[in-house]
Amino acid sequence: MASTDRATSHAREWSVASAIAALTLVLAVAAPGYFSWENLSDLLLANLPVLLVAIGMTLVIITGEIDISVGSMFAVCAVASGILAKTGVPIWIAGAAACLLGTAFGSLNGALVAYLGIPSIVVTLATMTALRDGLRWATEGAWVQDLPSSFQWLGLTQGQYPLVATIAAGLITAAFALGLRHLAAGRAVYATGSNPLAARLAGLDPSAIRTSVFAILGALTGLAAVLNAARFNQIPTNGGIGLEMKVIASVVVGGASVTGGTGSVLGTVLGVVLLAAIGPALTFLGVSAYWERAIQGAVILVAIAADGIRRPSFRRLAGVETGARA
Amino acid sequence: MLSSARRWFPNGEWVLLLVCAVEIVFFSAVAPNFLTLGNFFEITRFSVELGLLAVALTPVIVAGGIDLSVGSMMGLAAVSFGSAYQTWHLPLPLAAACAVLVGCVGGAVNALLIARLKLPALIVTLGTYSLFRGVAEGITRGAVNYTGFPSSFLFLGQGYLGGVIPAQLPLFVLIVAAYVVLLHRSVIGRALYAIGFSPEGARYAALPVVRRVALVYFLSGLTASVSALIYVAHLGQARSDAGAGYELDAITAVVLGGTSVFGGRGTMAGTLLGLFALVSLQTGMHLAAWPAELTGVLTGVLLIATIAADRHIRRAGPARTVEREDVEVKNSQVAVLCGAMFAAALIVAGTNVWLIRTVRDGARQSDGPASPAALRRITIAVMPKAKGDPYFVSCRAGAEEAARELGVDLLWDGPTSLDAAKQNELVENWITRKVDAIAVAVENRAGISTVLRKARARGIPVVTWDADAEPDARDFFVNQATAEGIANALTDEASRLLHGKGEFAIITGALSAANQNEWIAFIKQRLEHSHPGLKLVTIRPSDDDRDKAFAETQTLLKVYPSVKLMMAISAPAVPGAAEAVRQAGRTDVNVIGLSLPNINKPYVHDGVVQTVVLWNTRDLGYLAVYASALVAQHRLASGAHGLEAGRLGTIEVRDTQIILGAPMLFNKSNIDRFDF
Repeated sequence: MASTDRATSHAREWSVASAIAALTLVLAVAAPGYFSWENLSDLLLANLPVLLVAIGMTLVIITGEIDISVGSMFAVCAVASGILAKTGVPIWIAGAAACLLGTAFGSLNGALVAYLGIPSIVVTLATMTALRDGLRWATEGAWVQDLPSSFQWLGLTQGQYPLVATIAAGLITAAFALGLRHLAAGRAVYATGSNPLAARLAGLDPSAIRTSVFAILGALTGLAAVLNAARFNQIPTNGGIGLEMKVIASVVVGGASVTGGTGSVLGTVLGVVLLAAIGPALTFLGVSAYWERAIQGAVILVAIAADGIRRPSFRRLAGVETGARA
Repeated sequence: MLSSARRWFPNGEWVLLLVCAVEIVFFSAVAPNFLTLGNFFEITRFSVELGLLAVALTPVIVAGGIDLSVGSMMGLAAVSFGSAYQTWHLPLPLAAACAVLVGCVGGAVNALLIARLKLPALIVTLGTYSLFRGVAEGITRGAVNYTGFPSSFLFLGQGYLGGVIPAQLPLFVLIVAAYVVLLHRSVIGRALYAIGFSPEGARYAALPVVRRVALVYFLSGLTASVSALIYVAHLGQARSDAGAGYELDAITAVVLGGTSVFGGRGTMAGTLLGLFALVSLQTGMHLAAWPAELTGVLTGVLLIATIAADRHIRRAGPARTVEREDVEVKNSQVAVLCGAMFAAALIVAGTNVWLIRTVRDGARQSDGPASPAALRRITIAVMPKAKGDPYFVSCRAGAEEAARELGVDLLWDGPTSLDAAKQNELVENWITRKVDAIAVAVENRAGISTVLRKARARGIPVVTWDADAEPDARDFFVNQATAEGIANALTDEASRLLHGKGEFAIITGALSAANQNEWIAFIKQRLEHSHPGLKLVTIRPSDDDRDKAFAETQTLLKVYPSVKLMMAISAPAVPGAAEAVRQAGRTDVNVIGLSLPNINKPYVHDGVVQTVVLWNTRDLGYLAVYASALVAQHRLASGAHGLEAGRLGTIEVRDTQIILGAPMLFNKSNIDRFDF
């Protein structure tokens, strides 16, 4: 079972990679301007936050859970970091506080899921609404303005910041990719997702693992919020709307199964790249904005359906069953 | 007695019954006119569209699946209905059949992918969630808004049977009955529970798993399309954003009703109770004039608390065995009862504090100089299009200023995001609450007019502001600037900056935003007539998200290097576009747009943004409250040619329009004088 799982998840990574290759080819012929250095670096910088959240989401999805509150969390953390920065504390403390706040929200989600046994989609549906409306209530929609000048680019210059942010995100990605594959803690995440009961019998603590993956997702969301906020000099209070959908779509296109137990950081990176590349690519190709959403939905469906047709359905059914019983 | 409770509500729905009871008792104490038959029927009216989705989702979730695409399906079905009726000129029943057919096809697509190809439901419907909404936007190009349906059709959503019963209620009851039979009284229903409990076990028991699972998704598409028809009849318009966000509310109702998202457990009665708890919470909050944002927070808390209580009971009792009628059940029930009592006690304590505070406030006010008048303070209810929007936040400051000057109570509430259906709901609530005047910034002209007429018929004066309703549905319209005036000001400014020749791009709000689409139409008209040298190369959406406007502008700057001007026509989009232009170092590109001065000050001073076009929003809120108060006190009636509006002096009244003045241009020289 494990070997087939690994084989199929690699298959997904290949199919996403070939989709990216095909897109690259089309763009290279039709719109070579897409590959200009400025465009690529802009795209990279804009999608680093999505990547970070997606990595956290990968962990959560591997354990067979889901978190749809990340968009609201993202907005709350960004606003919190801005408000702190305005009080005059050093930028890095404000950033760290936002990460901590994200960790706290994530742990809350995780604890409700793991220790009270409430399904994660219900918990995070509730925290999504509560955080979003709570933020609206608290700020009444007013943006955080007059930030200290060191807030934008986190005290760096516009030239240095992308490099530093990319290196940081790259290191985090690599750490999670390797850790998930080679560390005992990483394997424990897979074990919890494929069969929590067996994981418990093998001496693991599935509840603690679930809580920690939610906490990690929260921390990464906080970090992503700060990295995103730092590209601007004011912070809107309606940020991150729809982020959860974007992130979950990227992770799932990258091959993680929402029933738990499968998925990889590499797949997620590819999924993020595909979904991030496709929107601007449609603009470059001159596709009208009115059809963009339909095309994006179709691409997701095709990427997933291709996988479903290839897999033997009985094994899928069994997989669904294990996940559902979790 | 306990055992009979078990028999009637096998899933602990009585917890929810308790929640409903607490809500009813609580809101009847706090909110005026909450406990009336009229309000009960109004509540059912708002709940029908959402209720249908929740009812359709129940068997889906019982069978262990999920359908996130129902809200988008509503949008697609509404648009299909509208275009079949208006564009293809099909007779109404055929058009409705078309919409239902589209619903069936959409449901079938989900069914095929989920049941046949065995793909996870969450992902498939996440995909069709984008796909359906996207196709609806594609068909209408975001902009087309089908209206002008015959009144016999609108009766379905707006009329009353026998004067009291909302017309859509019988249809709802019928569909619910059909679903109850399907889920609880048929072999198919039993199969769904078996499948939800264990799909593999169901297969070994020789149940047709694929066909049964396909059926529920098919039915959910079908029901969503029926819900769309009622929605169109209710609001009088078919737009691509119909039902946006409904899927989450519907899922909340189902889950609140005790249906397990893991499948195998749940009842229709639970879903209806969950729906009722959710909707009466929202209505109660509106009637009690508490901020709408609090509803979201409370819904979240309610959801977690209910499920946690339910889980707790389940864990305490023997899992998934036949419950015996003895003590082990009682323990957990006692625990929940205690919890509920504790919660109720907290709420009562909370209200007491709140009541004391209001009484004290009232006492303080009556000590003031105008004590006899203060006893009969009038209440003016003012609704923005969306509460969190900085634009309306700045209007509110003016509204509060006017309320203070006039000594009236201001009730400021509205949807938290653009939502025509919520606006109707709120006006209905205000009618029930018997406020003294209603002032609405209309999101959807056709949709809200019926309910505004109803308010007028009940003797409540109605003023519209920011955007108008049908002229006969309101007493006055506070007109800040016409769409044409805005479009002309923006286009002329663009022409001035480009010296009459060059290319420009528009960053709009959401593709389906009515205001923006109207402005775009007038901008195109102005270009054709007065500025033939200007060329509009593309229109991109920002969804009122600063970050998205930023990304879109970055891409645009590269794809269209010849574009020398970005025109952003949504408040958060202007700073987004400006930041992108600044970071790209493109000093040759101008940014103008329709936005608020405060969020653009840094860019205007840096010379990135040349001009921001807007009227004084603070004055707009001020004038809306002033006019409403005067109408309510019978000091302003039709036929007037002017009114004295406090610090604004004499304001011109043209016919039934109160004219605020021409739009203002904010630039480096004057922007610091404004703070909103």
